[in-house]
Amino acid sequence: MSEVVMQISQVTKVFPLRDSKVGFKAVDSISIDLHKGEVLGVVGESGSGKSTLARCAFGITEPTSGGTTILGESLVGKSRKATRELRANLGFVFQDPAGSINPRMSVYDAIAEPLMLAGMDSASIDTRVNFLMDRVGLASSQLSRKSHELSGGQCQRVAIARALATNPKIVLLDEPTSSLDLSVQAQILNLLEELRRDFDLTYFLISHNLDVVSHLSDRVAVMKDGVFVEVGTTRQVIDTPKHPFTRELIRVYSGASCEFDLDTWQDGPLNRWAFQNVSTFLPTKVIAASPEPLSLDIELDANLDAITIDVADSTYTLPELLADVDTDSIVVVRKGVLVYEKYFNGMTPDSVHLLQSVSKSILGALYAVMAERGVIDIDKPIAFYLPELVGSVYEAATIAQALDMTVAINFSEDYSDPQSEMARLDRAAGWRTNTTGHDLGLRSFLRTMTASGEHGKAYQYCSANTDVLAWLISEVTQTPYQDLLTRYIWQPMGAHDDASVIVDREGLSVGNGGISCTTRDLARFGLLIVNGGRANGEQVIPAAWVNATFAGASADVESADYLQALHPGGSYKNKWWITAGASREIFGVGIYGQYVWVDPTSETVIAKFSSLPIPVDGVHSRKHMALFRAICAQ
Amino acid sequence: MSTVLKISHLEVDFEINGVITNTPLRGINLEIKAGKTLGIVGETGCGKTLTATAIMGLLPSSAIQRGEIEFGNHGDITKADMADIRGSEITMIFQNPQSAFNPIFSIGAQLTMVAQRRGISDIPATLTARLESVGLRDPKRVLESYPHELSGGMLQRAMIAMALLSSPTLLIADEPTTALDATIGDHVLTLIAALQKREGFAMLFISHDVTAVAKTSDEIAVIYAGRVVETGPTSEVMKSPQHPYTQGLLGAIPSAEKARGTLVAIPGNVPSVLTNIKGCAFADRCSLQMDKCAQEPPTVQIGKQSVACWAVNS
Repeated sequence: MSEVVMQISQVTKVFPLRDSKVGFKAVDSISIDLHKGEVLGVVGESGSGKSTLARCAFGITEPTSGGTTILGESLVGKSRKATRELRANLGFVFQDPAGSINPRMSVYDAIAEPLMLAGMDSASIDTRVNFLMDRVGLASSQLSRKSHELSGGQCQRVAIARALATNPKIVLLDEPTSSLDLSVQAQILNLLEELRRDFDLTYFLISHNLDVVSHLSDRVAVMKDGVFVEVGTTRQVIDTPKHPFTRELIRVYSGASCEFDLDTWQDGPLNRWAFQNVSTFLPTKVIAASPEPLSLDIELDANLDAITIDVADSTYTLPELLADVDTDSIVVVRKGVLVYEKYFNGMTPDSVHLLQSVSKSILGALYAVMAERGVIDIDKPIAFYLPELVGSVYEAATIAQALDMTVAINFSEDYSDPQSEMARLDRAAGWRTNTTGHDLGLRSFLRTMTASGEHGKAYQYCSANTDVLAWLISEVTQTPYQDLLTRYIWQPMGAHDDASVIVDREGLSVGNGGISCTTRDLARFGLLIVNGGRANGEQVIPAAWVNATFAGASADVESADYLQALHPGGSYKNKWWITAGASREIFGVGIYGQYVWVDPTSETVIAKFSSLPIPVDGVHSRKHMALFRAICAQ
Repeated sequence: MSTVLKISHLEVDFEINGVITNTPLRGINLEIKAGKTLGIVGETGCGKTLTATAIMGLLPSSAIQRGEIEFGNHGDITKADMADIRGSEITMIFQNPQSAFNPIFSIGAQLTMVAQRRGISDIPATLTARLESVGLRDPKRVLESYPHELSGGMLQRAMIAMALLSSPTLLIADEPTTALDATIGDHVLTLIAALQKREGFAMLFISHDVTAVAKTSDEIAVIYAGRVVETGPTSEVMKSPQHPYTQGLLGAIPSAEKARGTLVAIPGNVPSVLTNIKGCAFADRCSLQMDKCAQEPPTVQIGKQSVACWAVNS
């Protein structure tokens, strides 16, 4: 590779904030080299720190720490004269061309000014200005004009001529085409490339526009929250993006349709938006936050980013693996202290995300409370409480069997088959378009479910079993499901934010997967379990139920091959998965990568949301297990 | 499928101090079908926003408007009809949500004013439900907030909520994502598409961003200097643009795939509104220019596309 002309090392910029001792870290120890003749493009959204980085690197703003060397010489600690000489190697082109030219100056004066400051004689200045005008495609007849008499594209040509006046080696292009129309932008981009080739320039290009950056750059750095989340050759970054933010940017710029489709919203890439926004296209009901939320102590553990995880024949760092499994957010709470928290794909600590089948684990906890209060007897058949289900599979199947997924039912949980009972269930719940004329609501669908054998003998995962339980408990208590969750789980556990649950056309909650909540609140739910059912000094869920869940299903229950392959000796109990691993972890899991992971040995809880492109597969599951175990082992 | 909006031969010019200016809109013909999206794409000054303003009946008194704007069952609408239709059957969202809201009233106060004007009963419940439906999950906070207290993305959602309060037949979106970050803008576009699916309104989507228009629209209309130069189904226009200007515009989009320095750069600039245009406005930037271009080109049909160009015609 050619010589390094600019070396940016450990540049950090902190802006003081009135209410904070630490201030706002706009740029967080960024290092990168620019090689002679290359174009380095930095792409990021507003507030990502890209302009601040460029200003620090080019000596316009003093960095808080770190610095730049230009052609081997440091920009800081020099005399004024030496600094000025070194700066002659730098050129600048900014976004607003009209604003970067003094409105009182003619085009000639604007280009000549830096030459005069450099001490050039007037005859040479004349020659140089005319040469530059020609090179940027402006006629000499325009030399007497002022900026307001020029079009945006012409202004930017003048700005480029001025930037190149002193023969700089490195040029900062800060959003050079963002205020121009598309056809004019193309002219300027072509011009910049031509000038780079002819004058052997090095460009430091920053833009929010991925199209512009990827077109002009040899290397691309993707910037977010003050750091480069990804750096590589343009081809590498565009063809094999590693970071979810990069993937999201590429998708946005790909022109992929924004067409919302009720039949594919759960699949990638639409799920990246849809899982955070279900309330915009499906009816939901509120599960209310606690008036006194459980506060979480935060003490971030910087070591976690450095751990390496071996899985699926590769070695990942934690950030790499999080990116690999399309993470939307993750919160880790160790011994009651929040030690790790990351958000991607537009999520924030305030964003809610669909839990999918982690919703089932919350229902499990509600049933523990209801059973303890004597509201229901879990050994009674479901139809005992819902007589309209007499004649269906739920005439004989008990509540306990539905909680443990041992109902023998004719039900295919195949997410890809539009004829499967799972697809019918989605249509009944309103999660897919339903033009069949059948399954109009969960109740009518559940009534058609039939038995396939003797209940209680074998584990058989079936989402309908949870919907029937959500219906049952609101029927028995004559209280909407969301209100029961508010009263007995969400508020007692100290939820900070409102959650919601999707309801079907008749207003019945979709118990199998309809809850959305914040990542921290899902972690609070995990905390409730790891603390033996206690929160804020109160016993919210019976301790005996928590212990029984950790103990897992009875050995008499026949397991399933896929469960044993992932978790040898593991089982399903009370709407939780029991790993039977050395640390006795249990977890709730939802399709497309939603998890609450509870490790009683290290007292660690992990809440994680994702938007995997497909519902479920062994590789993603293994990666998640490895990820969680590596975090808990710290 | 029924037509919601039909614009025929729309022309607008301005009379300033007794002098009639050149014509910034020189014959706009457009049609929007129920529940569908028509995207208008064009560069600065081509008349995109002026078209929307004319539809809304919000042109200033100095404007002289010719041609027909037919809306739904109303037929050709007059300024007087418009007072009832505007804000109820046709609503609009704007580019800059910061300036579209009044900074001295809370969002709640402003939404309430609109709801009262539309005769909505049970306003608090309606507003809460509306804000939730646009993905604002803390409606109470949003209603109590002043515009400067919300992010651009949240404000744009609040504006969408306001525009949909009256369940309009037609939503006009004028550069709704231009002021937003790309990923936030994409979320807003997906939201609008989801709402459109659910509520069935038709949409006129105006943008300088060809990619954004292509993503959201069923049909596309390319405007140059106050005239529609090409219309057709979005997929066809994007795949095989017919007008030299459309071809140039698509060729000008930078990407990693196109070799550096080889973007199609249409020479020259968009003509100023002050230019007196005779014949084809694009002629002097066009590589296919010929003598006939001094006359106004007729619109010809090529497959499903309509194109106003002599070169395509011959």
